[in-house]
Amino acid sequence: MDLNDKIVADTWAKSFSSAKDLPKQLTSDHRSFTSFNNQQQQKKWEVSSILDYNNRIQPPFPEFNHTPEAPRNHNSQIKGPDREDMQSNEKPDNKRFQEWDPRVMLNNLSFLEDKIHQLQDLVHLIVGRRGRVLGQSDELATQQQQLITADLTSIIVQLISTAGSLLPSIKHTLSTANPAIGQLGQLGSMLFPPTNSLNGVVLQQNSGGSKVSGQSNQIDLTVNCGTEQNYAAEEHDPKDDDDDADEGENLAPGSYEILQLEKEEILAPHTHFCMICGKGFKRDANLRMHMRGHGDEYKTPAALAKPNKDSSEPMLLKRYSCPYAGCKRNKDHKKFQPLKTILCVKNHYKRTHCDKSYTCSRCNTKKFSVIADLKTHEKHCGRDKWLCSCGTTFSRKDKLFGHIALFQGHTPALPLDETKPSSLPSDRTENNESKLGNIGFNFSASGSGGNAIQNMVDVKGAVDDPAAYFSPLNFDPCNIPGFHEFPRPTFEESDGFFSFPIPGACNYNQKTGGDSGSNDLE
Amino acid sequence: MASPLSNFSLLTDDLLFRILDKITSTSDRKNFRLVSKDFHRFDSIHRKTLKLLRLEFANSLLHKFSQINALDLSTCPRIDDATISSILLTSRFSNSLSWTLNIKKLVLSNATGLRSKGLELLMRFCINLEAIDVSDCWEFGDLEACALACGLGLREVRMDKCVKVTDVGLARIVVGCGKLERLSLRWCMEISDLGIDLLSKKCHHLRFLDISYLKVTNRSLFSIASLGKLKSLSMVGCSLLDDVGMKYLGRGCPLLQVLDVSRCNGISSYGLTLVLKVHSGLQQLGAGYCFADLSADLIYSLKNLGSLNLIKFDGARLSDSKFLSISLYCKQLVEVGLSKCIGVADEGIIQLASGCVNLKILDLTCCNLITDIGISAIADCCTNLVSLKVESCNLITEKGLERLGHSCLLIEELDLTDCSGVDDTGLCTNVHDKGLSHIGQNFSMICELDLYRCEGIRDEGLAALSGGCRKLKILNLSYCRAITDEGIQHLSNFEDLSVLEMRSLINITCSGMTIVAAGCKKLLDLDLKFCRNIDDSGFWALAYYSRNLQQINISHCGISDVGLCMVLGNLTCLQDAKLLHLTKVSVEGFELALRACYMRLKKVKLLSSLRSLLSAEILKMLQGRGCKIKWH
Repeated sequence: MDLNDKIVADTWAKSFSSAKDLPKQLTSDHRSFTSFNNQQQQKKWEVSSILDYNNRIQPPFPEFNHTPEAPRNHNSQIKGPDREDMQSNEKPDNKRFQEWDPRVMLNNLSFLEDKIHQLQDLVHLIVGRRGRVLGQSDELATQQQQLITADLTSIIVQLISTAGSLLPSIKHTLSTANPAIGQLGQLGSMLFPPTNSLNGVVLQQNSGGSKVSGQSNQIDLTVNCGTEQNYAAEEHDPKDDDDDADEGENLAPGSYEILQLEKEEILAPHTHFCMICGKGFKRDANLRMHMRGHGDEYKTPAALAKPNKDSSEPMLLKRYSCPYAGCKRNKDHKKFQPLKTILCVKNHYKRTHCDKSYTCSRCNTKKFSVIADLKTHEKHCGRDKWLCSCGTTFSRKDKLFGHIALFQGHTPALPLDETKPSSLPSDRTENNESKLGNIGFNFSASGSGGNAIQNMVDVKGAVDDPAAYFSPLNFDPCNIPGFHEFPRPTFEESDGFFSFPIPGACNYNQKTGGDSGSNDLE
Repeated sequence: MASPLSNFSLLTDDLLFRILDKITSTSDRKNFRLVSKDFHRFDSIHRKTLKLLRLEFANSLLHKFSQINALDLSTCPRIDDATISSILLTSRFSNSLSWTLNIKKLVLSNATGLRSKGLELLMRFCINLEAIDVSDCWEFGDLEACALACGLGLREVRMDKCVKVTDVGLARIVVGCGKLERLSLRWCMEISDLGIDLLSKKCHHLRFLDISYLKVTNRSLFSIASLGKLKSLSMVGCSLLDDVGMKYLGRGCPLLQVLDVSRCNGISSYGLTLVLKVHSGLQQLGAGYCFADLSADLIYSLKNLGSLNLIKFDGARLSDSKFLSISLYCKQLVEVGLSKCIGVADEGIIQLASGCVNLKILDLTCCNLITDIGISAIADCCTNLVSLKVESCNLITEKGLERLGHSCLLIEELDLTDCSGVDDTGLCTNVHDKGLSHIGQNFSMICELDLYRCEGIRDEGLAALSGGCRKLKILNLSYCRAITDEGIQHLSNFEDLSVLEMRSLINITCSGMTIVAAGCKKLLDLDLKFCRNIDDSGFWALAYYSRNLQQINISHCGISDVGLCMVLGNLTCLQDAKLLHLTKVSVEGFELALRACYMRLKKVKLLSSLRSLLSAEILKMLQGRGCKIKWH
């Protein structure tokens, strides 16, 4: 590693100077393959993330657009690939998507020629070195050998890469028009943990030949873009200061950008607001309908049409992150799983991180944080009349009994428990039920929700979060009053215990009323 | 008085307790208590069971007998949530709740006024409770079952005829009371295979199970077969069970000792044989009204059962050869039930009696081929006989009974109902006075006597009876129409008499009634149906003296409004009243009388014509208390 670092630093310095020296010497034609250098370099020398980061924010600065490539071609040094190449990555690649020039191909070919010459030089060097190797110290010899072999591989790879870029039209269509590739990349990013994902991509390159490697580059790029935007959006977020997390994000080759809404934004009842009167709407379409009332200019077909559908540019896949720290849907989570749409974010956040404020008016046990869930439940409420003490409902009695036979301590719950409140004993059962009911809800909600996978993950996430979900499952004996309190013969605590039948119970008053009711107690 | 007391004072506490252990009869216990204050104290310390007859004394008694571990509230009227909580409340205020900690067994059968809240209170206070009996609480449902489930230490639960308890309630109990060892679900008609299945999965310690009259199928038997500790299984009248279920049972329950498959119409003798071949440890087998013919295979399989001591083959066809086999294979038999068996004759009985000398209980009801020869054989061989039922055995004469009286001195129960052959001198249609005097002289230990329709019995017979059988507790004199006031007054000698049936004794008037009421203070159940000549003054006496009366039948009696109100209002233990065809009682009289006792009544039988005449309020009040109104 020492050696590698040294080399990196070395090349960095050199390239920097060379960039100063020869600022505009190169065209952007060679940049297509340089992106590959980037990969290669990272693979071989594990560039620190800070450099990488700089690398990404640099493109907007104009001087960097003209800096690249120079050192290797014109110095013809052994250390061909260096940092400058990487800095030039993004712009040229983006350009190449848009315009295709036959001259580029010519340049590529001449570059190939150059590279072949370089290769020849290197081989000569090796041959020459072999002669002198006896005279040198072993250490120096191995160092040089390492350097040479590194450059050799680099050049060879560049050759392959450039050769692949000779067929750019295919690459272009593949990378832009075919979203499958992007998804493939995304898949890759899912499969490999963020820290390893780079290796994964490189492996892909090596095995897949030139074209594939080119595509991989593209994918990598888009990831970078995405993450970059992400950082821009979240600069103020203190949670994202963690370098490790950043590195993970940077390296993840998923082909989507991650957006994260704030809690307030998620919980806001309206997302679309009228610019004139400030009225809020849940749907954009409703807002447009509303706008018609503000004047004729809003009644034109253009104004009423659904916006941002015209963009011909390839839309980047958008994925969402939950703002709740520690949640599996939060992008900082080790096994982060993004949410697909804003609606998913809203539902996920409400279901998982919010109070369940909507209670079913029929059963009075089940609580929901999303109204739609409540409505779905109310459609079926009462139909699943077989209820376990854990809150799980069953449509069939035998299913309930199978469940009870399976779990220790579960008993069938009586629906009558709620209709006969008051008195300590039934309070106890109600407490238990409502507590356990929460869990039951979570599972059942996941079943009834729209997106099965999404919800499955939701439940997993729920299970991962111990504070929110496992606490109700703790059968804390203190929560079940009675058993431990009653043995005491003094009964000091249980004053309220007796209160129910004599003063409170209207039934009993009626029945015990009269002379006979009182005299038997004397 | 001083000398015997000083002698008693020599007895140590330990000795006294040992003596007390031996005194089981309540009247003897009472006499013991009355000896001295010390004895009274010993008795109250020694007492382990308490049966409350009145709620009024509940608190003082429970305070006094705080060491009791069994409390019986079954005959106590007015047990409901409010009274239970007030008892507990009073105990608590007087710091005398310790009795709740000692109680291990609680009998709440017939406590129809009790609901889940009161029950739960009891369960929570009596934390050491191990056994509870809530049978015949017909209003009990799943809520009450939930309350029962609070008794975590329960080992025994009897809930016969809790007809509203469903699988859900059973599941609560099963999950709550994991230590359950004995469970009776007789007549809990709502319980199905699912509940039984869960029971078998959760209660592995179950030793006794009664699922009689449930609508369960073979699946339940499949589940029950997995109960490794089950010793006793009763499944009377489970008509959905068949031989397949018996096959399951044959594979499981290795410790089975008691099996009752009576009235299971689906089970054949082949099915029963499957079980008998495997379970050689079986001690009691009930298979009455199960199959018409006992197969030879089944009888042969009895050979396998070395320790069998009880068999019931009621209603089956039994030939003499089968009796031979039974007497050969089953030497240990103590109880045999052969009522309504076809083909039972003297030879068979002789073989049975000669083989099974330990026989104590023999039911030969309606085996009308039996003559004195058979009875003599029984009398000669089975000297330990305690109970003999020969109802409708017309060929039995007084000679046979005399033989019986001479040799079977331990006999306690003798059923001669409709034995038209039994006579005192010759062969008349009825038992006459001389026969009764034989009984009076020979059966001094007798406690139950059924003289139903023995129309030859006169006053002298009763006098002879009352001279000898002082321990009589249950007496049926129905349709012995010759008995007059003079004869009935001898009944006052039966101090322990608790059940008296005197239907259609038309010669009895108020004076006879008064003497009986004043004499038989322990009378619990009185049937005066068709005693037309007892008028209000007789019922006044009843209302005044028979304070322990729990059950009364005064249908077709000449009682008036005032008499009915007196009887129902004053008899504070009365819980069951049959009030049909009371021609002298007006609707207002019924209304008033029912209002006077609605707190206590658990069962009342009324003419259905009254249904529309009585106010809805009183009906609602009655039903609200769990009182069952039977409309006739």
